[in-house]
This record gives sequence, C-alpha cells and structure tokens, in this order.
Amino acid sequence: MAASRLMIIAKKEFFDHIRSRKFLLIFGILLVVAIVGMIGGLSDYNKNLDDYNKHLSTIQSPLSSYMAEKPSILSVFSAVATYLVFVGGILGIAMGFDLVSKEKESKSLKILLSHPVYRDEVINGKALGGIAALGCALLVVLIIALATLLVYGIVPDGNELILIMIFGLVSFLLIFSYFAVALFLSTALDESGSALIYTMIIFIALSALVPTLANNTVTEFVVGSQPELPQELVDQMQQSVNKSDVSGISVTFSNKGNNGAWDAFNEKMQTYWEKRQMVHDTLALFSPTMNYESVTAAVTKQYTSSGMVVGASGSTSIVSSFNVVSAGDAGIDGIISTITANLIALLLFPAVFFGLAYLWFMRLDVR
Amino acid sequence: MILLEHLTKEYNGVRAVNDLTAEVPDGEIFGLLGPNGSGKSTTILMLVGLIEPTDGRCLINGLDVARNPITVRNRIGYMPEDVGFYPTLTAGENLTYFGQLYGMDAKILTPKIAGLLERVGLDGVTKPVGGYSKGMRQRLGLAKALLNDPSVIILDEPTANLDPQGVADYRRIIREVATSGTTVVVSSHILEEISRVSTSVGILSAGRLVAQGSWRDLASSVGNRSAAHITIRVETLDPMPAFSHPDLISAEYEQDRREAVIVARSDIRDDLAATLSEQGIRLRGLSREGLSLEETFLSYYQVAG
Repeated sequence: MAASRLMIIAKKEFFDHIRSRKFLLIFGILLVVAIVGMIGGLSDYNKNLDDYNKHLSTIQSPLSSYMAEKPSILSVFSAVATYLVFVGGILGIAMGFDLVSKEKESKSLKILLSHPVYRDEVINGKALGGIAALGCALLVVLIIALATLLVYGIVPDGNELILIMIFGLVSFLLIFSYFAVALFLSTALDESGSALIYTMIIFIALSALVPTLANNTVTEFVVGSQPELPQELVDQMQQSVNKSDVSGISVTFSNKGNNGAWDAFNEKMQTYWEKRQMVHDTLALFSPTMNYESVTAAVTKQYTSSGMVVGASGSTSIVSSFNVVSAGDAGIDGIISTITANLIALLLFPAVFFGLAYLWFMRLDVR
Repeated sequence: MILLEHLTKEYNGVRAVNDLTAEVPDGEIFGLLGPNGSGKSTTILMLVGLIEPTDGRCLINGLDVARNPITVRNRIGYMPEDVGFYPTLTAGENLTYFGQLYGMDAKILTPKIAGLLERVGLDGVTKPVGGYSKGMRQRLGLAKALLNDPSVIILDEPTANLDPQGVADYRRIIREVATSGTTVVVSSHILEEISRVSTSVGILSAGRLVAQGSWRDLASSVGNRSAAHITIRVETLDPMPAFSHPDLISAEYEQDRREAVIVARSDIRDDLAATLSEQGIRLRGLSREGLSLEETFLSYYQVAG
C-alpha cells in the first residue's frame, strides 16, 4: 500500500511535468541545442578525421601512425555538454522551483496531507516524478544524439557507448543537482517566485562565481603568490640575454651550483602548483557545473582512440574492433579513476539538497 | 464518536488551544463556534492530524489521531477553509487522484465521482478547477470530503463562499449524511450557519471551550444567569403592585394593557409571583423574553472575557 501511494503521487507528478508548458518549452530548447551541438561537433569530427586520414596516408611505416591521434566520436558530445550546462540547469530549476510552494499557494497541500499518506511518500513521490521526467527528457536527447551519429554513418563501439552512457549519467546528475536545490527552496519558502529567485542566485553562484573564485581569488588567498625566480637565476638569465647567445644559457645551466638553484626553484613551483590545483579541485567539488565540466572534459576530450587504431594489416581506414576494445578498456578505467571524485561529488550534491528538502518537508507547518 | 481530551496547542509559547475537552456522539452535527482566532481551525487541524497537539489527544472512533494518522484519515472526510485543488486538473481528475490515495479502485471511483459531482451540483462542468469560482471549489471540497464514505466529516467554514442555493444544498447534504449515522463537525464564526445545521454546539473563546451542549441547553443556561426581561400581566393595576428584590433593576407599568415590564439581573419570576400573591393581586400571566442566538453567544464571550 505504501509503495502504491508513493507511485500514485510520482505518477501524477510525472504527468504534471510532461504536460506543463514550461517543461515542454525548455525541453524543446534543450533538444534544439543538443541537435545543433551534435551537428557542429560532427562537422568538427569529420574534419579532424579527414586530417587524421590524410596524415596517415602520408606515412610509410605503420609504426609511425602511433604519432597521430584519431579523433574520438565522444568529442562530438563536447559541444552538447557546453549547452547542457546552461539549458539543463535551467530545466532542472524550472521543474523544481514550484513543486511544493505551488501546492502551498494553491492550498492543495493541506488537502493532500489530509489523505492517508505519509509526508515522506509525498516528498519522495514528488522527487521521483521529477527524476522520471528528467530522465525521460535526457533519454530522448541521448537517443536523438545517437540517431544523429547513425545518420552521419558513425557507429559507436562498445567502449564509446559506455562513455556516452557516462556522459548521459553525469548530465542527468547535473540537472538533478539543480532540481534538488530548487526542490529544497520550494519546500523552505512559501512563494514560488522567491524560490525561483534564490535558486537562480545559487545556480549563477555555482556556475559562474565558484569557478572564477577557484581559478583566481580564493586560490591566491589560500596558496599565496607564485614563487619568484631567485635573483641569482634572474641575473644569469639577464647575462645570457645580454650576450644574445641562447647556447650560453645551456652552458650556464650546466653549472652544478646553478642547477641546484634551478632544482630548488622548480620544486617550489611544483609545490605551489600542486597546492593551487588542490584548492581548485576542492572548490570545484562544491560546484555541480565544475564537476560536470571536469567529467565531460575527461569523457569527451581525453578519450581518444590513438594508439589503438592501426591493426596488424597496417590499414588506416578500418579500425580493428579487437584493438579498440582492449585499449579502450584501459582508457575507460583511466577516465573513471580520474573522474571518481567528481562523480561522487555530483551524487552527493543533489543527495544533500534532497535530504534538506526531505527534512524540511517532514517538519513543515501546515496551517 | 469524537473525543477531545485536554487538547492543547502552543505556537511559540502562545496557547492557540487551551485544555480543550469535548465529546461528540455518533450521528451528531457538532458546531464549533467562535470568533476569528479563537482556536477553531487549530482544533480542526489537530482532529485531522495535520498538526500534533502540544498536550492532550484527539480520539476518533477510539483511535488516537496522532498515533494512527493513516487509519484515522482513511475514515474521515475533511474540507479546509480555503479549499485548494490542482488547478490544471478537472474536478473528476482531482477526485480520482484523491480517491486513488484512499486506495479506491477505478471501477468504484468512476461512478462514485459522477454521483458526488451531481450531488454537489458540479455535474457537466468539464473545465479545469483553475477556472472555478470560490463557491464551485467549495462544492467540490464537499464532494471530496464525502469521497471515501467517511464515518466522520470535518468541515472548516464550509459555507464561507457559497451562494444561497449552495448553502441550501450544503445543509441538505449534511443533514442526509448525519441521518445515516455520520458524525459531522462544522467550524464557523457565522452564528446563523451553526444554529441552522448543528444539533449541538461548542463555543470557543481564546482557545478555551467555554460552553458545550444543545442550543436549548445553552440558552437556558445563559438565561439563568443573565439580565431578564419579565412581563407581568395582572387583573388590575389598582392598587399598583410594589416590587422589591435585590436583583431588580427597573419596573415600568403599562396602565392600558395592565402590564408591568420588569428588568432584573436574573430570572426572578418565582419571587415576583410570590410577592404579588402576598399583595393580593391576581396574576394573569408571567412571561420572560427568550434570548436570541446572538445574545446567548455573546453572553458566553462576556463571561469568558
């Protein structure tokens, strides 16, 4: 019975979402930008593939082909990700900002809670309905994206499909993150207008302000300024420049004492940049947008099929599936280990806000 | 049966309902009367289980509402003061959704909803509820309150937005369901409304139940301790009767009608009859004006205040 009530509420919320004009409008925009992004990405991909094939055809030795990088079809999704960060965030907010506050305003919440339902069934049902609608929207986008690939004659292999699924999952988590923020504020505030404004402020802060702070102000404040080049090295460089003899520098660097100074400086610089990166990465974990960008960058850009392209036959146009799979497996493992922290952060962010919404709703004063 | 035991609700240290104890037997139409802010809606919300009492408890058919909210809500029908529905859905769709939450099957729901909408005068209305007037929403609220064939119906200000025909329909429906054994609790600040429909009444003032009983009992109780207008009719006013009583306020004589109108602080008819008898004056009649509903109601507030 309890599960049934939860599903009744979730079903109603789902159909409310997919019938609502605001959902259809934003979903339409999402579809358009996804298709535009796909077409733009495909155009770049085909150009890069042509360049790659030309490059391969000019090389005599098959082993030399390892120097070239075959473009990945995942790069096509890079453009989609750029649009999805913004439009997806807006879609999540649009679906969540009035989920509870609208019921407070229309007074239907009181009448709903006077029925034999537990409060957790109501808030979970609302979230579930929203998740289902978001999932459907994203699934349609992914299906259209894959269909576009097929129309262009590109068939993703197993590894690429896995990465496309990871892309879809993180895109969903990004949208769900802002949906959860909007749901919480909709629960905490009495007016939908206020919930929308505060959610937008958080969205802008997490999408624009935190990345800016992570790159500049906060990092400088925490880590301090970049180490300066020691005076003796500056003097030596100056002398070398004055001599206008580039090779002089190498002569100077070969000096053992000076090498020690350079080593010390390099070590300081390395420590500085490591700290800076750590502060940046830590701050980035609090922003779903930054996490999403990190993951999609890893999935759509870092993954290439270079080094797994050429089969024993030396053919440059046909990719051996065996080679792709074996090398691709290692690639996926690497990508997943790179993005694990971001994935966890992307899971935790909506979980925290949904938890807050849940607790607030359970204690909500219905008068 | 509804039983309220020492029901108390505090908001930020302020007592909205204070030690309220009352009992409503089955089949009764109980009117909860009181001015705005007297604690009626808070009491109703505790009855429905939407808020928990700070102290005391509500029992509906022997079940503690706070401990068994789901079971209790399955057995009650509730219509809040500002009844709200899902504006994009039609009346039928709204009722179907709520019916599903009661666990009702579609086969049962469809004819039941059609019957209820006809009963409240909303049959044939196909537009979404967002386009309804307040009165129409109130009618739909009544239909929703009856949806699960409840043994207890709780209505908060049910006629606030109804037109005269709507009020008449509402009274008819409430009397019908009470006749079938359903207990009805109606909260209102409109005296006329409560007096027309309820079989017993509880008067709330500043969160306290200052009186409970039938109108007749309450009026009688008030009459025994409030100012009384007594009219004495005698055979002749010659000699003029002389009245003396500690509660006597004034006495006016009407020679033509051979009447004396006495205003006293209490009902002193027995004492006056004895006095006239002692004076050898034959009494033709001794009557006391009944108190109006408003006088009865206000009397309790004066006492409570």
